[in-house]
Amino acid sequence: MFPRMQSEEKDAFPFVEDSFSRFPSQSNIYGLCQAGEQELLAATLKGKVVCFRYQELQQKIRPVAKEVQFTYIPVDAEIVSIDAFNKSAPNRGLVVGITFIKDSGDKATPFLNIYCDYEPGSEFNLESIAQSCLNLELQFTPFQLYHTEVHCEGGGRETVFLLSGHDQKIHLYKENASLHQFEEQPVERLFPELQKLPSNVLWLDMLSLPGGRRFSTYGCQNGCVGLALVDQSKPEVLQSWQVLQDSPISTVLLFSLNSDSPSTAAEVKACRPSPYLHPNAPLTGFNESRCEEMGSYNLLVTSTIETAIVYRDIQEHGMSHPEFLLESDQWDAVLCALVVDLDFDGQKEVLIGTYGQELLCYKFQEQSHVGSERRFQMVWRRSFKSPVLSITYSDLTGDGLKELAILTLKGLHIMQHSLSSTADLVLQRLSRRLSIMTPGSELSSGHDSQDKADTVRAPESTCQPPPPP
Amino acid sequence: MRSLNFVQRVSLDFTGTLFPHAICLGDADNDTLNELVVGDTSGKLLIYKNDVSKPWMTRTCVGMLTCVAVGDVCNKGKNFVVAVSAEGWFHLFDMTAAASGKADSVSQHESLCLDDQKPCFTQHIPANTKVLLISDIDGDGHWELVVGYTDRVVRAFRWEEPADAADLGSGQLVLLKKWLLEGQVDSLSVNPGNEGLPELMVSQPGCGYAILLCSWATQAPPAAAGDPPPDAGDPPPAAGGDGSGGTAVSTPGSPRDVILHLTTGRIHNKNVSTHLIGSISRGSKEESSKCGLFAMCTLDGTLKLMDSSEQLWWSVQVDHQLFALQKLDVTGDGREEVVACAWDGQTYIIDHHRTVVRFQFEENVNAFCAGQYTCKEGRNSPCLVYVGFNHKIYVYWRVGLERMEPTNLLRLLEQRPAFQGLLQQLGLDGEDPAAVRKLLADVLYKDGAVQTP
Repeated sequence: MFPRMQSEEKDAFPFVEDSFSRFPSQSNIYGLCQAGEQELLAATLKGKVVCFRYQELQQKIRPVAKEVQFTYIPVDAEIVSIDAFNKSAPNRGLVVGITFIKDSGDKATPFLNIYCDYEPGSEFNLESIAQSCLNLELQFTPFQLYHTEVHCEGGGRETVFLLSGHDQKIHLYKENASLHQFEEQPVERLFPELQKLPSNVLWLDMLSLPGGRRFSTYGCQNGCVGLALVDQSKPEVLQSWQVLQDSPISTVLLFSLNSDSPSTAAEVKACRPSPYLHPNAPLTGFNESRCEEMGSYNLLVTSTIETAIVYRDIQEHGMSHPEFLLESDQWDAVLCALVVDLDFDGQKEVLIGTYGQELLCYKFQEQSHVGSERRFQMVWRRSFKSPVLSITYSDLTGDGLKELAILTLKGLHIMQHSLSSTADLVLQRLSRRLSIMTPGSELSSGHDSQDKADTVRAPESTCQPPPPP
Repeated sequence: MRSLNFVQRVSLDFTGTLFPHAICLGDADNDTLNELVVGDTSGKLLIYKNDVSKPWMTRTCVGMLTCVAVGDVCNKGKNFVVAVSAEGWFHLFDMTAAASGKADSVSQHESLCLDDQKPCFTQHIPANTKVLLISDIDGDGHWELVVGYTDRVVRAFRWEEPADAADLGSGQLVLLKKWLLEGQVDSLSVNPGNEGLPELMVSQPGCGYAILLCSWATQAPPAAAGDPPPDAGDPPPAAGGDGSGGTAVSTPGSPRDVILHLTTGRIHNKNVSTHLIGSISRGSKEESSKCGLFAMCTLDGTLKLMDSSEQLWWSVQVDHQLFALQKLDVTGDGREEVVACAWDGQTYIIDHHRTVVRFQFEENVNAFCAGQYTCKEGRNSPCLVYVGFNHKIYVYWRVGLERMEPTNLLRLLEQRPAFQGLLQQLGLDGEDPAAVRKLLADVLYKDGAVQTP
């Protein structure tokens, strides 16, 4: 019906399925999270949590999906959401949060269980973490469980849980360092933008910006999308926007189009005159927390009925420059989305998963021949056997190459990049690195030029005014 | 066990019911692209092409079709479609002519097309047919037709026609030999023996198999092999229902010429139905033509891969009822994998090193076949074909895999000689996996931004 659809069939899906793990019961859009470096946790409705990872055995790797027995989840529990994070430095340890509803017949009681082990040596051991539980009874039906890093009074950082509920509120759970346990704290102290919400929040996302600021956005059941720019140090809302759409919002995602952290994007721009001067620099590791002002930020909003929208350059235009992802409403409700670089060109693609069992990929195309028009265009789509609920992109096989994990109603699919062609690309890029390195310039000179680039850029970054409040 | 979920499929309309052997993939119209041939219990022969859900050709046969095949059964250098009914009616269709006719006569009157619907040849052979094989079973370079029966009989036929024959009407099938087996014959296959000569194999219950000797090839000089013994005459072509005349003929050659092999292992039920497939490609022509590989599966879940010297390559026990066995090169490396399908849709693809990939088809399966089929993109590709019970045939047309085993980029790069050299030149220790991992992540996810203008 659309010419693009025909060409799409020729556009090969750039992944091959590496494994499929069937789950005993269905999952939902809050049911998948990353736990640690190479593991995924998927929660299923009937109270089971499956840990997926690749096991190394006799020089081979094989996918393993094993149930983890998280304690204090009763047999009649129905899991709503799951999330996990590594504690911010200097603290160590993995924290897993699971919300569920225990339906004992007469009354359904919601709970939040937070699992974390303080025993030195087992902070990252999932089996022992699953045994040490903090059980919190909730007064509301839980939705998405989210985590984000906040700046504390002492200048340190800490990662906290944010849980949205059907009481039109977002609840904050923060670790009490002296008690060694998590407790609910008033959300407005750290998140002034999350008070007086217009409706139940279905999805929440935050993005830390250089200069101690953050973008914070939420999508509501009544179609309302909120966006706020917040100064984290006070904290104080610098600017906020709100848009009302016609249907429940399934996902909101903040992203910058350029790959990796904003600092890398800025790095590239900064050294554009001689981009190949320090090929070896990423190896030495950039200081990730370096402040950059040059990134451009976007907000992706997917809703259950309408076409998905990307609000472009929100730091300048707020929510006034919408761009529609055409045809994204053709396959029933959009349930999930992810923005990552899938084709290694340094520019991110938008992935959208639908209830209509399709995974769509949009790429930002710069159409020079149509003047300044820039558009997101669908580059491929792929069908699944059941609705697509959640997507992650992380390195599960431990080789530096990331895999796409797709949670569907029936189970978890792991999609791997075509390895032979990726290997070709790696060899090609390595030899290019080498060819840049060898003609004369020493490694140290590379560092020099990088430092120069830093000093040149520094005034710019400090000069740039923050967006008007 | 690695499990996959194939999704790219097309569904074809099929309203009838069919026998498990009344489905096959083959080049029916000699255009080098394979079609799907299906025969149903009402005698309808359907041929599907590409991803079109309606049959490309439909033919009507006499009786209840139990098996279909595509092959050069007349030794004319072109493929015919063969459909055999339980009642013993053998039908031969020339789809090449039909295809060109269809192309030419789009605007011509219907009567011509109706005439085309008839098989170009029919003959009555003994009834109770079950499986069909078109292959060179005696190594003379000519194709024979082998038919397995529900009454534990296997018969081999050869197409004979006068040298000056103008069309197929003057030729006929001539019985070469009849073998009587002890157990049910569920599969017929040909496998190269140790000397490289083809051996006709049939499956026997309880994970056994029998090799049927072609005595005419060993007893008579090859030149005389073309002349059938005078008493082995068949009923005249297209004669009436008097098919019993054929069965009454005693087999030529006095010994039974059946060598039974029972494999050892955990066989719980000696009568369990067994399937077999031979001539599984080993990658190089040389290896495959000598000491051929064959696989067996049983309804109680035993799978075995053996070679013709009776060497067991592997054995796998699964808890699904396997009822169909095929071979298919899914990785494209020239080695054919063994594909077994269970009644409940569970499908196993196993390579020569016993690496297993599973796929669950979501319905119960009536019939299954695997092979090369031209579904999309105008070329043959490995396909899995399932016939369910809901009036649909599902063709999974993208089932090719890069490899059978899960692996990662690191392992793949380690096999590339250039990689270690590059690492050394970049001053990186290849033995430090963490550093290499970091390098790969940087190269893939950071260098792209630098290098694309």
